[in-house]
Amino acid sequence: MRRIQRILHVAGNDLRLMVGDKVFFFWTLAFPILFIFLFGLLYKAGDNAPAVAEMTVVNLDQGRWGSYFIKKIEAPGIAVTVTDKEPAEYVRMIILPADFSAQIEARRGQALAFKKRSGASTSAAARVETRLYQAIARTISELVLYGPGDLTKFLDGHPAFRELVVVKGEFPPKTVTVVPSGFDHVIPGTTIQFIMMMVLIYGGIGVMEDRKKGILGRLLFSPLSTGELFQAKLLGRWGLGLLQALMLFTVGKIFFRLNLGSVPLALLVIAVFSLAMAALSVFIGSLCTKEDVIVGLSVLLANIFAALGGCWWPNEIVPQAVRVVARISPAYWAMDALHKLTFFQGKFADIALPVGVLAALAAVLTAVAGRSFRIRD
Amino acid sequence: MRRLLLILGNDVRRHLKAPWAIVIFIAIPLLMTGLIGVIFAPRSHSGQLPPIAVLLVDQDKGLASKLILGSFDVDQMKKMFQVTVTDEVDGARRMKRGRASAMVVIPKGFTLDLLEARPTTLRVVKNPSEQFLPDVVEEFMATMGVMLSGAIQAFSEEVKGLRLMLDGPVERIPWETLGPEFGKAQKKIAAAAKYLNPLLIGLKEEETKAAGAKAQSSMTDIFSIILPGMAVMFLLFIVQTLMRDLLSDREDGKLRRMLTTPVRPLEVIGARILGGWVMGVAILLIMVAFGTLVFHVNWGPFGFFLLLVVVAAFWTAAFFALFHALVRNRNQAGALGAPIILAFSLFGGSMMNPEVMPKAFRAVGIVTPNRWFIDGAALVREGRFPLASLIVLLVSGLVLLALAVPTLRRRALV
Repeated sequence: MRRIQRILHVAGNDLRLMVGDKVFFFWTLAFPILFIFLFGLLYKAGDNAPAVAEMTVVNLDQGRWGSYFIKKIEAPGIAVTVTDKEPAEYVRMIILPADFSAQIEARRGQALAFKKRSGASTSAAARVETRLYQAIARTISELVLYGPGDLTKFLDGHPAFRELVVVKGEFPPKTVTVVPSGFDHVIPGTTIQFIMMMVLIYGGIGVMEDRKKGILGRLLFSPLSTGELFQAKLLGRWGLGLLQALMLFTVGKIFFRLNLGSVPLALLVIAVFSLAMAALSVFIGSLCTKEDVIVGLSVLLANIFAALGGCWWPNEIVPQAVRVVARISPAYWAMDALHKLTFFQGKFADIALPVGVLAALAAVLTAVAGRSFRIRD
Repeated sequence: MRRLLLILGNDVRRHLKAPWAIVIFIAIPLLMTGLIGVIFAPRSHSGQLPPIAVLLVDQDKGLASKLILGSFDVDQMKKMFQVTVTDEVDGARRMKRGRASAMVVIPKGFTLDLLEARPTTLRVVKNPSEQFLPDVVEEFMATMGVMLSGAIQAFSEEVKGLRLMLDGPVERIPWETLGPEFGKAQKKIAAAAKYLNPLLIGLKEEETKAAGAKAQSSMTDIFSIILPGMAVMFLLFIVQTLMRDLLSDREDGKLRRMLTTPVRPLEVIGARILGGWVMGVAILLIMVAFGTLVFHVNWGPFGFFLLLVVVAAFWTAAFFALFHALVRNRNQAGALGAPIILAFSLFGGSMMNPEVMPKAFRAVGIVTPNRWFIDGAALVREGRFPLASLIVLLVSGLVLLALAVPTLRRRALV
């Protein structure tokens, strides 16, 4: 019992020192929140996606078909602006040429210029593009239905198009009830990334400095053994990861209406992941002798793991080969488990595999860190 | 001047003896550029997305559902979608595990409903953990629905005949009347073929930038866009680390000892700033060399780019000279330096494309060196001279230097 108390005492003191650092809250809270805000807006989806996708139609058509085709494009989610000359500013634009009607009436094929601004919302662009293809399909169907008659008289009267096949999008039962927002995707990713970065940097530098300054050696004059000292260092860094996750999840819940699914299970994932990172930080701190090297190595590892693990962008857009390589990243398993909880309302059985992998990784890293833990240089 | 160069040479040798931090900081932007480039590089087939995993549940098993299945079997669609035909129970299990982007359910009686021109519904069950791909499937199915609706209406008479053939026994089919009906159908098919090949109304897509049009970027373009932003971000980190000597010499008492020799404070300060500048240029050139050899990055006219590199490194050295003149000790430098660099990088466009940032954030970006370096590099890539970037970086760098030198001199003599 006293042994546990001694370990907790040293771990708590380490945590207090780290939290007491002048810029602790910048790194663990302010900067991640800035990240969350910016990337949440960038990867806006669902209810954060533009309610109305903009579309400019430059109608140069000399006949009546241009206006008819524009009506086919119009839909509740699309704001169509019709103009008669090409504007300098637009998000996406289609140009109906002067001979648009003449080409249709002569039953000759034509390709309309469709310009999209790079960097504009992908989902809004897809919505507009699909609507354009649907408008084309509707128009051609009506023409087939009309038959070989004179197309100059088509717009005076023709059979109307009926939507016989309706497509209904839905989420699997017992998963989410509202469309996940960009923040639901970004907050877990940012949390995982900053836990890696902060635990590795603060944890690694702490171990290195304590060793170089002889603090570890002096601590051994107390009833602590080397093993207990290692456990205390590990525990302090583990606490740092947990504390950071708690702060970010709380902010996410209050300000961004973050939905984590089962909170206890999400904390379990974070706990196991933080333990693995804590062990890695002790290992790095035991290995390196310079602060700059620890910072560089931590930034390198955290960024590579975050990018591979799906913390920066949705894994769905990543090539298959990269997705396979991503499994070497602890962030991949943590994100996989958090996704299952957040988006599929997963239970323990659903996250058993990723949590198991993280636990195994934590065990291996703890063993490696334990072996390399040194009291003196 | 000789003494200044001696101090500079000694500093460079000292840093080269323990190069690991610098090597890691040079490696980070190169690795990140490689990774981002591999992920976002344009693919040769079907646009930007990897194949989309789709589960297809056919509860109808009729002609229309076969038509939908067949539409996924076209070459272009095969590249875009990876379709697995399954039943609803297995499909639901796989969706629950997030194994597919979407599950399309064709309901029982789908073909019959269509043949009788009754409205019917296709369900698209979407993976809630994915942001883009399920919507692509939903939109594809919506377009498919429009085409099916159109086809059914265009061939409504023929469809009725088909319905009769499907329902009744062979002896009840009025074969003698089918001849003219087939004739009519043939005319409609011929008319439809006229509209479909070539397509009566097609789209010619292009992606444009603010002023003029530009075709899709190549993989090399992606690297060329990302690397300058990453390079300037880590240039700031490395120069900050290298110029920390300005502080450590003062704190450790080395500076006081140096000033007992015939060395003047201005020479020590000059050597440190010149060292930051020269090593900054060297670091950027190493990244340029790697970028050229490994990623085949297009930098544009090298003379222009070299000028930009020299001016950017000068700005960085001048900035950190003033920074180290203002902060009290190494702890304060460590605490403030990295947040400032990250703020520069975030607002300046090293971490994300400024075009997609909120306007207020873009405005802040104008006061960062990252933004001017990235904009300058983009101009050089297009073969243009980065005059605005050079002027802004040079003039603001000179102002920083003018503020830094007297402050550093005053503190060196204290």
